[in-house]
Amino acid sequence: MLITQESASYQDAVPPGGQPPWLARHRAAGMARFAAEGYPKRSQEAWRFTDLRPLTASVFPPAPPDPVAVDAATVAPHRLPCPSHRLVLVNGRFAPALSDIGVLPEGVWLGSVTDALRERPDLVAASLAEGEASLAALNAALFADGFVLAVEAGVTLEAPVEVIHYADMGAPAAAHVRNRMVVGAGGRATVIETSTGVGAGWLNTVTVVTVATGGALRHVQLQRDAAEAIHTSVVRGDLAGDARYESFSLMAGGRLSRRDIQVNLGGPGASVALNGAYLLRGSQEATFAPVVTHAAPHCRTDEVVKGVMQDRAHGVFLGTVRVHPGADGTDARQLNRNLLLSPTAWVDTKPELEILADDVKCSHGATVGSLDEASLFYLQARGIDPATARLMLVEAFAADVIDGAGLDEPIRDHVHGHLRSWLDGLEGGR
Amino acid sequence: MTNLLEIRDLRARIVGGRDILKGIDLDVAPGEVHAIMGPNGAGKSTLSSVLAGKPGYEVTGGSILYQGRDLLALPADERAREGVFLAFQYPVEIPGVNNMYFLRAALNAGRRQRGVPELDAAQFLKAVRDKLKLLDISDDLLRRAVNVGFSGGEKKRNEIFQMAMLEPKLAILDETDSGLDIDALRVVSDGVNRLRDPNRAIVLITHYQRLLDYIVPDHVHVLSDGRIVASGDKTFAAELERTGYAHLGSAA
Ligand SMILES: Nc1ncnc2c1ncn2[C@@H]1O[C@H](COP(=O)(O)OP(=O)(O)OP(=O)(O)O)[C@@H](O)[C@H]1O
Ligand SMILES: [Mg+2]
Repeated sequence: MLITQESASYQDAVPPGGQPPWLARHRAAGMARFAAEGYPKRSQEAWRFTDLRPLTASVFPPAPPDPVAVDAATVAPHRLPCPSHRLVLVNGRFAPALSDIGVLPEGVWLGSVTDALRERPDLVAASLAEGEASLAALNAALFADGFVLAVEAGVTLEAPVEVIHYADMGAPAAAHVRNRMVVGAGGRATVIETSTGVGAGWLNTVTVVTVATGGALRHVQLQRDAAEAIHTSVVRGDLAGDARYESFSLMAGGRLSRRDIQVNLGGPGASVALNGAYLLRGSQEATFAPVVTHAAPHCRTDEVVKGVMQDRAHGVFLGTVRVHPGADGTDARQLNRNLLLSPTAWVDTKPELEILADDVKCSHGATVGSLDEASLFYLQARGIDPATARLMLVEAFAADVIDGAGLDEPIRDHVHGHLRSWLDGLEGGR
Repeated sequence: MTNLLEIRDLRARIVGGRDILKGIDLDVAPGEVHAIMGPNGAGKSTLSSVLAGKPGYEVTGGSILYQGRDLLALPADERAREGVFLAFQYPVEIPGVNNMYFLRAALNAGRRQRGVPELDAAQFLKAVRDKLKLLDISDDLLRRAVNVGFSGGEKKRNEIFQMAMLEPKLAILDETDSGLDIDALRVVSDGVNRLRDPNRAIVLITHYQRLLDYIVPDHVHVLSDGRIVASGDKTFAAELERTGYAHLGSAA
């Protein structure tokens, strides 16, 4: 086995003992794969715009299992303003004292990966796949915990599942988190994940999603990591016929973040909504890379992603919609719009369509612009000061994608609240 | 009575372009209504833009005193808070910014400047309802984004509605009558007439005598090729309707 320099630092980070043999096998395969490949390289097309140096320049040993002193009051401000089934993971490990899973309806399993390994190992096994690459492979080798949601056929989970990933790792360290969500035929659930914390940790998550025929999963990921944090995340989704996956991503934290969302529309009539926003300032670097594969006919993709960049921040949008041969009746829209607030802010945007079917309706587009001068003047001509006028226009630009994401009232307001708190940090607030 | 506005030998151009205003003189006293007419391209909108503080113009000479202060020294937003209001010839559409939210922010910005308490949501709503009735605007328009999807006439009405809410001291209406149907013209004119006040001056830029039948001006001026080339009383507009601008001085 070729041992690269980066993997050498992780070889000793042997995962928790007492694991089933199938898991040990996946971990070994993951480590071998990472050892062979190392970190993603900028020579790879999908990584060529992402500057990974903050990650590759240091070693991030897995965060130790010792419970850190994170109390309920620390986590409280990040909670949803409505009833939920709540799991809190601190440094990538389930924290029962901070969590409140509550009463679950018949047919729903919700809990940590550690508990699932005891009660429902099948759910964890299904989150691991052959051939995971690079960061996902390292995750397979090293993940300590995560959350698992399983909703059986025909079951609706009314209250949202809320998962808070809180990081407080002191020295540079990594939390590798593996999550699994499965919704059975006709089932429904909503999951809101929030990542936040303090310090310069690395959160590396892999989430594997399956939605069976006619099921629906709504998945909101609010990324508000600490200013020095690194966050890489992969979501792999597989949808059966008439299944629906609605994803909303807010990327507004961390010094380096990357979110890969890969959705396979595997049965006729499946649909995905992939909306989101990246809000970046200072020298933040964020990549949003959604890839949708239309593998069956009559599937639908609706994707609107907006970016706001200030100072020297750098945003990257790499959106791909692939339409396989025979996926006739495909309806796919992909739009990425960017607002640059400073001359030194920049964005790389590549919305791509790869169409191998004949009868399809596909559109894609990208825009990069600055604030509209005529609008700014109009607001000022009514007495609104220039800084407030700018904030109003930035908020309008980004709020639109939140409103368009079809979120229910308390959650939509909660997401708007995140946008406003981000805006309050712009130019010293409003 | 001292003048609210005193423009002396004002010269201005688009930044990097040719001169458009070539020496404007105009005095406006509180309580007065002035009409400014004149051929297309004469500089009427340029004058209103310079008064409102729109970026992209360069004042190359002359002065503007507003309430005895140097207006040109103030940024646009401060002019507005001090009571200068421009009803735009082409109101801007601002997607995503709610009309009510915007107007309340504007109103309260002015109130802060004047040191009067801001209006809370309920007080604001009451003020809105009162003015909406006057201008025959459906409150549906207010729930939408600023001017987005408004018809031409609705945009003009919205400008006058904003003026009614903000209660400026100096209102400049740039072709607010253009694009209005006959009924809307009457509604808008009524709205403007209600705002006539001994402490408020109104400058109407228009191409049409008809507006001046509704809003009777104290003074009528012709602006041509960057200068005011003729002035008269309210009967002057009717005379211009017959004679046109061509015979007036520097139109050539
Ligand atoms: N942004 C600009 N760039 C270049 N030239 C401009 C610009 N704005 C105005 N001008 C020119 O300045 C001159 C005066 O324009 P202005 O809009 O002030 O005329 P106006 O009297 O309002 O005309 P109208 O009656 O047609 O509204 C015109 O020749 C116009 O083409
Ligand atoms: Mg004009």
